[in-house]
Amino acid sequence: MRFVSRGSAGAAAGLRRRDLVALAGGAAAWTVTADAQALPVIGYLGSESPQQYESRLVAFREGLAQVGYAEGRNVAIEFRWAEGRYRELPALARELASRQVTAMVAAGGAEVALAAKAATATIPTVFEMGGDPIALGVVDSLSRPGGNLTGVSSLSVEVSRKRLEFMREVRPGSKVFAVAINPASPTSSSQLSNLRVAAESLGVKLAVLKASSEPEFDSMFAAAHDLGTGGLVFSSDPYFAYRSQQLAALAVRHGVPAMTQSRDFPLAGGLMSYGGDFSQTHRNAGIYAGRILKGEKPANLPVQRVTKVELFINVKAADELGLAFPSSLLGSADRVIE
Amino acid sequence: MPGPVAAPRATLFKKYFRTLFAAVVAPLFIAGASEAWFGYHDQRARLNDLLAAEARLAAARIADFIDGIRDQMGWTVQLPWSETPGNRRRLDALRLLRQVPAIESLSLVDPAGRERLFVSRIGLNRVEGGDDLSATPAVVGARAHRVWFGPVAFQNGSEPFMTIALSGNRAADGVVIAEVNLKFIWDVISDIRVGRTGEAFVLDQPGRLVAHPDISLVLRADESAHKPLQALRAAILAQSGQAAAGRDIAGDRVLAAMASIPGVGWSVIVEQPVAEAFEPIYAALWRTAALLVAGAALAAALAYWLTRRMIEPIRVLEDGVTRIGAGQFDHRISLTTSDEFERLATRFNEMAGELALSQERSERIGRLKRFLAPQVAELIDRTGDDRVLDGRRVDVVVIFCDLRDFTAFSARAEAETVIGVLREYHDALERAVSAHEATLINFFGDGVMVLVNAPVSCSDPALRAIDLANDMQRSVQSLLIGWRALDSRLGFGVGLAMGPATVGQIGSEGRLHYTAIGNVVNLASRLCASAQDGEVLIDRVAAREVASRVPLVELDPLALKGFDAPVPVFAAAGDGKAGG
Repeated sequence: MRFVSRGSAGAAAGLRRRDLVALAGGAAAWTVTADAQALPVIGYLGSESPQQYESRLVAFREGLAQVGYAEGRNVAIEFRWAEGRYRELPALARELASRQVTAMVAAGGAEVALAAKAATATIPTVFEMGGDPIALGVVDSLSRPGGNLTGVSSLSVEVSRKRLEFMREVRPGSKVFAVAINPASPTSSSQLSNLRVAAESLGVKLAVLKASSEPEFDSMFAAAHDLGTGGLVFSSDPYFAYRSQQLAALAVRHGVPAMTQSRDFPLAGGLMSYGGDFSQTHRNAGIYAGRILKGEKPANLPVQRVTKVELFINVKAADELGLAFPSSLLGSADRVIE
Repeated sequence: MPGPVAAPRATLFKKYFRTLFAAVVAPLFIAGASEAWFGYHDQRARLNDLLAAEARLAAARIADFIDGIRDQMGWTVQLPWSETPGNRRRLDALRLLRQVPAIESLSLVDPAGRERLFVSRIGLNRVEGGDDLSATPAVVGARAHRVWFGPVAFQNGSEPFMTIALSGNRAADGVVIAEVNLKFIWDVISDIRVGRTGEAFVLDQPGRLVAHPDISLVLRADESAHKPLQALRAAILAQSGQAAAGRDIAGDRVLAAMASIPGVGWSVIVEQPVAEAFEPIYAALWRTAALLVAGAALAAALAYWLTRRMIEPIRVLEDGVTRIGAGQFDHRISLTTSDEFERLATRFNEMAGELALSQERSERIGRLKRFLAPQVAELIDRTGDDRVLDGRRVDVVVIFCDLRDFTAFSARAEAETVIGVLREYHDALERAVSAHEATLINFFGDGVMVLVNAPVSCSDPALRAIDLANDMQRSVQSLLIGWRALDSRLGFGVGLAMGPATVGQIGSEGRLHYTAIGNVVNLASRLCASAQDGEVLIDRVAAREVASRVPLVELDPLALKGFDAPVPVFAAAGDGKAGG
């Protein structure tokens, strides 16, 4: 889609604009109270910090702008950040709900969406997440969400098995692969069972490694290395996705071929990624938030699934690991980092 | 007077104004209305063509989208299958996925109908899966028609997908089956703009919404919500492909045209809000209306100006006629319009002149009538010369007469009786004077002075005067018969004398009288005073004049006051009392 190319270009478009956007966001935070009567307010719930959400917020604001909203001009945004402490999400969501915001945006994963759903049954809410919204009980139907929630699904959870398949193509000789699971994630069990089915059909064995906090990352990479696995495949999880820099650094340090859902990972020096285009999902979330501000009912807005699942590969990282990408990956990658 | 006059003037003004205004405005309106009518129809036809072209263009773009996918798929079925799949074919399939984002998954089927390769963006790839697909509609359809388009299916009841199957040129090349995510048509459909805000959408054969600029409408996959769009398609079909008016999904009135995409059997419908589509028409209508209003205003101003120009001379004429009618005969209507009005004004001016003359004449006649017999007065008037009234010296006959004992009678009798007697008396005398064309100078009570031969000369004044005197005597005597019942002493006497006298108008400016001054007047007065009832006394000059034509009796000379010697006197012998 058109906006995808713009989005991916935006990733490298320079930090200056992002800084400005962040500044604007900060400025809006204290003007909210003054303009509250005049402007509709979006309550934005994020699982991490504004720095980690920067690129997502850019896409979200683009979506808002596409339907005619600009923060500070005709809409105010009130942010609540969980700073990685996902257990605090429900409280933050309730806080936003109690402020009677016009609409709520719960972006960045099933945890955020579920926290928002638990906090309010009336305030229109737009979610952005990777899993299946029906299976997770967020909505009853994709075409007619029915309640006060609608949103965008990135397909990242569904394609976890494809990551295993890609990793096996890179390491055809290996029989054992490590998978990283975040036990705190509501999608972890379904992903793990999917991965097990895939491993069986691919004829490989899985070493399941669990991590739900940053201190556990290092030992996970060490284990993947020490177990002599062909590589470490990350299940889809926002906690992992928002820590791509850290994971890439660890992968390089431990010399482990690894693959996550986020393009940020190969861009930071990791081997490769396969997942939904988050620029598209956050942009669509912005569009839906704008349409809700214009008076549309979430019940009438079908849940959208991302149309683009992107494969990023980092040739330089492969070289350092002493690996070579097969031509099937080189040919089908959306972006090859050299 | 102004009331009844003002009303018809206003009506005339209104009539002229209406006529002139209508003369200009009616053709203007007819022209404007016909232009609007034809303009509307031309524009409607143009709109039809335009929308039809837009629909064809949109259909071509969507057909391009599908054809593009089909053409790309063609690469995978150009080589015959061997028993080993080979890496080459897998790479082609992966490259195809990379190349065509709309393809979600791809199956390659060998000539025997077995699935040899499956690649997907979401699911795991399969090599040599070996499933027998030879009986599936896709394979059967592709083998029969080379290309096969499946029905639109909504995954999870929401996302539109379609299967496209393509067979190679030879049966040995096998068949490729692609699952195509139709959400990608959004890129095409959202790019299509009809006019400023018009848009396009796609319905499949059963009337389900396949593509719409608002993707959420498609994803809702709610057939009942798409009823208006189906109705729109039905309306266009009912018009045999012409653009039709209807309502879009939001209930707004739109004008829509349609083109179909062969192969998939979809209908591409372009719609434009009626308000926008007809904007040029409305603009043209407004323009025409504005021109009509301006034209009407101009026509009104012109009609007013022309009417004023026509009415103004009429008003001047009317004013002039009113003044002339009121007696201002010296008033002249001044009009220099060099047309009928000026001629009419000239006529009125001439008429006023004539009226002035006529009035002067009638005034003069009135003046003359007071002392001249009416026929004499008329005569003088006809000659147009009242110099006869000028003072001069001429031979005249003066007649005096009065009633005997009238003063005593008037003291005794009732006032009404006195006035009645006097009226009858004066009437009788006046008739006699008139009959003889003499000049009645004055009534003073019962006394009367009559002049013959002045101011108008006549032939044989003496004879005429004596005849007149006799007539007067006769008339009054017949009256006296009746009056004697009132007073037996009443009588009537006449004196008559002829001689030179000064005649002319005397008196003050306001009260002019024609009269005679001279000895002959005194003589006639004295003779009258001396005359007995029924007697007409005549002086010598008059008697000599008539000679023997009238029987006269010479009486004894009378000593009269103011005359030194006794005056010879004659009496008319006509009446029974003569000589008594």
